[in-house]
Amino acid sequence: MTPTRPIAAGPSRAARFRSALLTTALIAPAGLWYLFLLIAPLAIVFIFSFGVRARNGGYEPAFVLDNYVRALERPDPFITSLVMASAGAIGCLLVGLPLAYYIATRAGSRKSLLILLLVVPFWTSFLIRTYSWMIILGPDNGLAGWIGGFLGDEQFRILGTPFAVLIGLVYGYLPLMVFPLYVTLERMDRTLIEASKDLGAARWATFRQVTLPIALPGLVTGTILVFIPMMGEYVIPQILGYGRTYLMGNALVTDFLEARNWPSGSARAMGLILIMFITVSFYLWFVNRGRKVREVSVL
Amino acid sequence: MAERDLSEYLARISRSKVNRRSFLATAGLLGGSAALAACTNGGATTAPTGGATAAPTNGGATPPPAGDIESELFVYNWSDYISPTNMDAFKEEFGVTNFVYDTFANNEELLAKLQGGASGYDIACPTAEYVPAMVEEGFLTKLDMSRIPNYGLINDTFKGQWWDPNNEYLIPKDYGTTGVLWRKSLLPKVPESWQDFYDMVRNEASGKTVFVDSMGDVFVFPLKMLGYSLNSNEQSELEEARQILLDCAPHILALDSDTYGDKLASGESSICLGWTGPLGQELGDLVSAGDAGYTVPTEGTLYWMDAWVMLADAPHPNASYAWLDFIQRPEVQGEETNYNLYATPNDAAKAFVDPEILANEAIFPPDDVIADLEGAEDTSGNNQRIDIWEEFKSKIGG
Amino acid sequence: MTPATPPRARDTQLPGRREGRAADRWAGLVEGWLKGHTYLVYAFLYLPIIIVVVFAFNDTNRRVTTWDGASTKWFGVALADGVVHKALFNSFVVALPNAILATTFGTMAALGLQRVGRKMRTTFDALTYTSIIVPEIVIALSTLVLFATAFGVIEAVFGIKLNFGHMTIIIAHVLFNTSLVLLLVRARLSGMDRTLVEASSDLFATPWRTFRQITFPMLLPAIVAGFLLAFTFSFDDYVITTFVSGPGSSTLPLFIFGQIKRGVTPETNAVATMILAFTLGMLLIGQLVLIWQSRRQGRKGGGDMASIIAER
Repeated sequence: MTPTRPIAAGPSRAARFRSALLTTALIAPAGLWYLFLLIAPLAIVFIFSFGVRARNGGYEPAFVLDNYVRALERPDPFITSLVMASAGAIGCLLVGLPLAYYIATRAGSRKSLLILLLVVPFWTSFLIRTYSWMIILGPDNGLAGWIGGFLGDEQFRILGTPFAVLIGLVYGYLPLMVFPLYVTLERMDRTLIEASKDLGAARWATFRQVTLPIALPGLVTGTILVFIPMMGEYVIPQILGYGRTYLMGNALVTDFLEARNWPSGSARAMGLILIMFITVSFYLWFVNRGRKVREVSVL
Repeated sequence: MAERDLSEYLARISRSKVNRRSFLATAGLLGGSAALAACTNGGATTAPTGGATAAPTNGGATPPPAGDIESELFVYNWSDYISPTNMDAFKEEFGVTNFVYDTFANNEELLAKLQGGASGYDIACPTAEYVPAMVEEGFLTKLDMSRIPNYGLINDTFKGQWWDPNNEYLIPKDYGTTGVLWRKSLLPKVPESWQDFYDMVRNEASGKTVFVDSMGDVFVFPLKMLGYSLNSNEQSELEEARQILLDCAPHILALDSDTYGDKLASGESSICLGWTGPLGQELGDLVSAGDAGYTVPTEGTLYWMDAWVMLADAPHPNASYAWLDFIQRPEVQGEETNYNLYATPNDAAKAFVDPEILANEAIFPPDDVIADLEGAEDTSGNNQRIDIWEEFKSKIGG
Repeated sequence: MTPATPPRARDTQLPGRREGRAADRWAGLVEGWLKGHTYLVYAFLYLPIIIVVVFAFNDTNRRVTTWDGASTKWFGVALADGVVHKALFNSFVVALPNAILATTFGTMAALGLQRVGRKMRTTFDALTYTSIIVPEIVIALSTLVLFATAFGVIEAVFGIKLNFGHMTIIIAHVLFNTSLVLLLVRARLSGMDRTLVEASSDLFATPWRTFRQITFPMLLPAIVAGFLLAFTFSFDDYVITTFVSGPGSSTLPLFIFGQIKRGVTPETNAVATMILAFTLGMLLIGQLVLIWQSRRQGRKGGGDMASIIAER
């Protein structure tokens, strides 16, 4: 920089170039992954959705809209999934928000430990955890047996009902709700809360006007991270639901694995992806409208 | 490769699936030969059937001429489907130090994986009705039966079937049926036919019925009860079957291929449409007490057969042949039956099978029952069946 | 309010103010409920785990859901079973690199996205959410096709034969996990207090120094959380792994799911129990070390890794 240059001038061209280089370097790895492992496979699915089933299953090149027509004729799994996933997301929220709040604001030095303890159960196998739920909710020595005995109803059952599926869903996806909530709540400045209280605001008002807005990004991320995968879940309905709840995940398995009709499954998947994409975009827009998110770089 | 050539090449590949298959298979062969050359010095013993000429080419894969047995074998199979005793004996005798045994949970996974382009395994064990599809797609190597002398020990009834009319691609492994499992004390009588089954499901066993989660097997029940072929693709026949299935749907407790034996054993269920597996395990005690059992319905049912096949770009063809021959040795096959509790098609092996198992009619159906059995075909391409199946699944439990 | 109590500084006219003792009681209730809720949730989380551990001592010969008496034999089986060892090994070999890569890429991307224009950022967001929206079975099969085609092309052009195995699984897992980390870090970043960062650059600290001493510690909980989740997902994944794995690279979930057909044995429970014992043991040791360390350094009530790192 020459001495005659005013101090308030913007960055030099070299500095701008370096800055752009840094930015590119930062987003490049993720970008490459998205390009090759998301866009490319999705392009394949897209192409397949217009094809026909090869004689022995799989894909045969063609260009027809039949698969989409057929997908529209079979909407039931989609509707059931919407209901279950919504219920599951709400369940995760009700269970997870107070938990995240407690760990972030009340647990003090035991924060990290509690967070770790949250994921440790998931290092055992998903299948035997689900089997354990079968034992817990079971009709004889399990919960259903006790409740049934208490109510005098011998036929009382939990397994095989959508409620059992709901328990399984909330159980399996809880960390996905708690972690985003935790990381946003944890950086909440306690002085804000204290200031609010000093100004005489009631607890609920403090929560609503101070805590909730700060937690909002985490809440949004959490609900999306939980709701979306639940739409594609199929093992839990099969085991805990006794196969009685037929969700989108099951429908895709029927198409891809049982019927081996990849074009039909691809069309259904594309439909699901599109609808979910629109839903998520709308959700994000709705939540973020009016919020001024100032993206100033911290690097 | 010039850019234009490459894109033309890619365009040609994508245009035809069969070309891609054979291309990959040939490519696999190139790689496989290299691996073979590297393996030949691996301290392996020579194959007992050495000296055979190379097998003729099929959809692209030519196994190299018989030579030293590689020290590795990659098997892709159902879980727990090979007796560990046999595995160890094979490893020792042929010096196959690296016996990789990977498992798949169902045929559909195996097929989808192969269809998607997966490779790397030598031997797989699909259910026979899927073999024609695998042959057509070029997933399999044509077998040189002269390298598998023990093949002659297999009963002729199981050869020359529609799934392999010229006996070129598969070696039968075991077979079984689909039928009705029951708990005597929870039902008015022992069901003997699909009609009995239909009646009980809607009455005494309502809310206590389990069907296996397998489309092909479930369709056997209504079609056979109506006197049609269980492989029917007739619209009117399938429509009638649909009615019967929908009649039963509200009475069904679960659609479950894995824990139906448990449910039957605990009494949560009193009748099941399923296979013979649970008889030797969860229901063992109840069977001895006479309270549980298995019926092959009088109207007839399907028989399934699991078969050994060699995959098209098998990296270790010599070890594969050694295995295919080894597994059909009478004492080895007998041990397999004793371990798996599924019937063996190998006559000479029967001498080594536990007499109790041999006498069990659920596992080894008598000849007159066998006459009523129909081999299953691959009907997964029938859209009407799929739609009925989905509708049925959505309506289970009411 | 009793007359003897002097008027407090908080005595203003703002809405929602509650009287002293009532406010305390209310506060007490809320605190109690929060704590109780937390305990209940952990009980909910660990109840099936307790069952898993208990049934590892099941004396049955086959299926894991019927209790037949107590025995430790399945631990012996698990310890001697080479297939399980290989599966466990494979699970680690896949999960750890995947977590490292995903955390690195995700954090980098989160930081980089703050510097790009709105269009690029929106595109990236769209991609991130899409990667979560695509059902697992769909991405599994399409990635398989992609790999197979790519391998074929590579072999034709370069003559190198690539195989399905650990690498393909890691590559496939990194996609979803990168998005996960990206979302977590971005959630943390959004609305983060910029004043510290601005103050730092006002004081002429280099961007790298600012990052290292201000930003990174503030992001650390999100980065650690992301790493944990990425590892967990990879370790426990079944669908994607099934389709993109190759011979010899079966992970623990593949082994366990494969057992369904013939019945899951308590051997699986024994393995899970041993994994649990190991991780909980490590956690315990870690906590004890931290407590001992902070006592040695004379800090009060230490033991929180994050706070120690932040204080450094």
